[in-house]
Amino acid sequence: MASAAIPRRRVRIDLAIATVVGLLIVVLGFGATVSDRFATTANLLTVAEQAAALGFVAIGQTLAVLVGGIDLSVGAMVTAANVFVASFVHGSDVLMIPGLVAVLVLGAAIGLVNGIVTVRTGVHPLIVTLGTASILNGLVLLYTLQPTGKVPAWFEDFAYDTAFGLPIAGLVFLIAAAIVALVLARTGFGRAVYAVGGNYEAARLAGLPAERVTLMVYAASGFFAALAGAYYVSRTGTGDPRVGDPMTLASITPVVVGGTQLGGGKGGILGTVLGVLLISLVNNLLNYMNVSTFIQWVVQGLIIITAVSLFVNRGKRL
Amino acid sequence: MIELKGISKSFPGVKSLDGVSFEARAGEIHALLGENGAGKSTLIKVMAGAYTPDEGTICFDGQERMWSNPRQAKDAGIHVIYQELLLFPELSVAENLYVGRPPRGIARLIDRKAMLRGAEAVLARLGHHLDPRARVKDLSVADRQMVEIGKALIGETKLLVLDEPTAVISGREADLLFERMETLRAAGVCLIYVSHRLEEIFRVANRVTVLKDGRHVATCPIAEVTRDSLVTMMVGRSLQDIFPAKPRPAASATPVLSVRDLRMAPKVRQVSFDLLPGEILGIAGLVGAGRSEVAHAIFGASTRDSGTVILDGLLHDRPTPRVSIDAGLGFLTEDRKGEGLLMLLDTAANISAPTLKGFVTSGFIDRDAEIQAARDEIGRFRIAVPGPTSGVSALSGGNQQKILFARWTRACRKVLILDEPTRGVDVGAKVEIYRIIRELADAGIGVIVISSELPEVVGLATRVLVMREGIVTGELSGEDISETAIMRLATADMADLAATAAA
Repeated sequence: MASAAIPRRRVRIDLAIATVVGLLIVVLGFGATVSDRFATTANLLTVAEQAAALGFVAIGQTLAVLVGGIDLSVGAMVTAANVFVASFVHGSDVLMIPGLVAVLVLGAAIGLVNGIVTVRTGVHPLIVTLGTASILNGLVLLYTLQPTGKVPAWFEDFAYDTAFGLPIAGLVFLIAAAIVALVLARTGFGRAVYAVGGNYEAARLAGLPAERVTLMVYAASGFFAALAGAYYVSRTGTGDPRVGDPMTLASITPVVVGGTQLGGGKGGILGTVLGVLLISLVNNLLNYMNVSTFIQWVVQGLIIITAVSLFVNRGKRL
Repeated sequence: MIELKGISKSFPGVKSLDGVSFEARAGEIHALLGENGAGKSTLIKVMAGAYTPDEGTICFDGQERMWSNPRQAKDAGIHVIYQELLLFPELSVAENLYVGRPPRGIARLIDRKAMLRGAEAVLARLGHHLDPRARVKDLSVADRQMVEIGKALIGETKLLVLDEPTAVISGREADLLFERMETLRAAGVCLIYVSHRLEEIFRVANRVTVLKDGRHVATCPIAEVTRDSLVTMMVGRSLQDIFPAKPRPAASATPVLSVRDLRMAPKVRQVSFDLLPGEILGIAGLVGAGRSEVAHAIFGASTRDSGTVILDGLLHDRPTPRVSIDAGLGFLTEDRKGEGLLMLLDTAANISAPTLKGFVTSGFIDRDAEIQAARDEIGRFRIAVPGPTSGVSALSGGNQQKILFARWTRACRKVLILDEPTRGVDVGAKVEIYRIIRELADAGIGVIVISSELPEVVGLATRVLVMREGIVTGELSGEDISETAIMRLATADMADLAATAAA
């Protein structure tokens, strides 16, 4: 009867992506008129590099939101990972690689615990991950109130190095995004993520591994947050007990701006990547315009509301 | 009371109503009949102001009206009770009755005493005993419907539309509903009653209008039609052709499924039965008898407390849905939207869900193979869907159900449990679903059909288990299967049964 609604889903996703692309173009065009240094290759590469940390966290957040949840522990995880790597390695060449491996495993493990508690107790992930965030933040601040630890100089270079003329951090982000996007689009796991996000019980009764998928998604989110934390060590050379504070909410912005639906089941990585680029570009542009950091917050808020209200499904039918 | 003339309403790609005229009078119960997709819901929504028709006029209570929103229709005295009730579960009965227009007292504060008095008066008018202070979430579905009807009374309703109200309640509750409808009719209200269930229409309706494919087929007094003529008007098919002949499984065969002393508190107290390959076993009983829960416990949708299940010679212990599917068991849920379809995924993904592993080569889903398989199933089950990659949420109940049948016939090798397989499905699709069930049995699969529709159980099953309050109260087979025999067992008092058995 109302079969007219069938193509709507596709249209809406495209609409979200089109909106973000449109905004990207507007920002680029506007930036080029405001500052002649903005729309240069060198600057855009810098943006790609600066986008990486937010990008890593946002990939994990996208997965958590897609599966119908949310991960509010990512900011604390970034901080914990950051402090852990810097203090564990403490300038030692030998411990650098083991430290990186350990932090990624630990991040995934803590994420897994988030998933297990969510699935087993039925407590909403918002609450579970909020609790985890509080625990992690508390532990870090018990350990240190000051920036602490350091890493070998060669690892610090890593954050600013390029490969094939492109910043390594940006490349790693894009490769990670491409892999996750491929997994979501083409594998059974990805299919299950969308199915579980749409309706957990229906997915479970259809024989899809609903529980395992939920666990894996939170593990992945922890992994990517830990990766972002490790990356911050490389950028700053030290472990900062406050570095991840703004990351939790910041990671949700590109996800929703990119068209992934809170509640789950719809959306994807492409939108998130574009959302990350948009936000990083805007922040970069505002830096060029020499405005206060707090203006960046205001603008981010405007972007969320504008972008999402442009493509959201208006006028719910009965 | 209401007269619609030449109503047309199109949605992109579909003409849902095509020049439909319809009139209903005060003091009558007018049945609106038609298959899913015939345009009943659209017509109701046009009356209720939820849709604006592309063409045509609406005349209500002697005046030509064109609603631009549901509020206007409501203020004029049109009240629609949709299948999904629009109640607030956390509020009380009285608060729900007066939602949006509570009696005001001093300083425009809600006058709770007046509200309770009014609620009591309305419930008394309905002849329904219900505590106006009770929270709606604690009420049965039937009681909630009464609250909805009560809302209509408070709003000085002249036209009350009921959209398939009996799809969600038991037979005895339906009897009560019909009595209340009769009370309202006698009080001069015009009732429009939408249902798939022909037998109900003969019980309650004064006149009937049949729609088919968005067009008006006929409007007649109920005395001038028969079941057969109505079915013919709706589908162009006669009633005898609805049920296929019953299969005859070899009685000597080893059971493909044996259930012993199954318990799952609180709904399943003790259930034991065997199922032969190629058999269609009906499980009948009133709503709440524990039938669906038996299916859940066997399939592993919920965890059972105790009991043994043997599936094709192997112990089926502590199953999860995945384990059950791998063991050859399928379960088609009664709750299509809540537990069945993956509403955000496309048709192909819905069909392939339990058998997705079969489409995965070297880690990736072979999407072409998946789509091809879906295309085959769409053809085989004659699913009216634009293509394998179209969504499922906007399809009619019958087509959605066929998608689930396609899913489970692919996945299931030994036993298929069907819980209310034709709920919310039109007559045409029912016939096809019955044929599919028969084909499954012919292929040697043991089929369990749980159904609240007695004609369905009688028409399909080779053997029937009847449940009441979590216990199997009896088993019928062959010629003994009849609606009266089932009802007797379904409502049986345990003491009576024991006495009969002793005698």
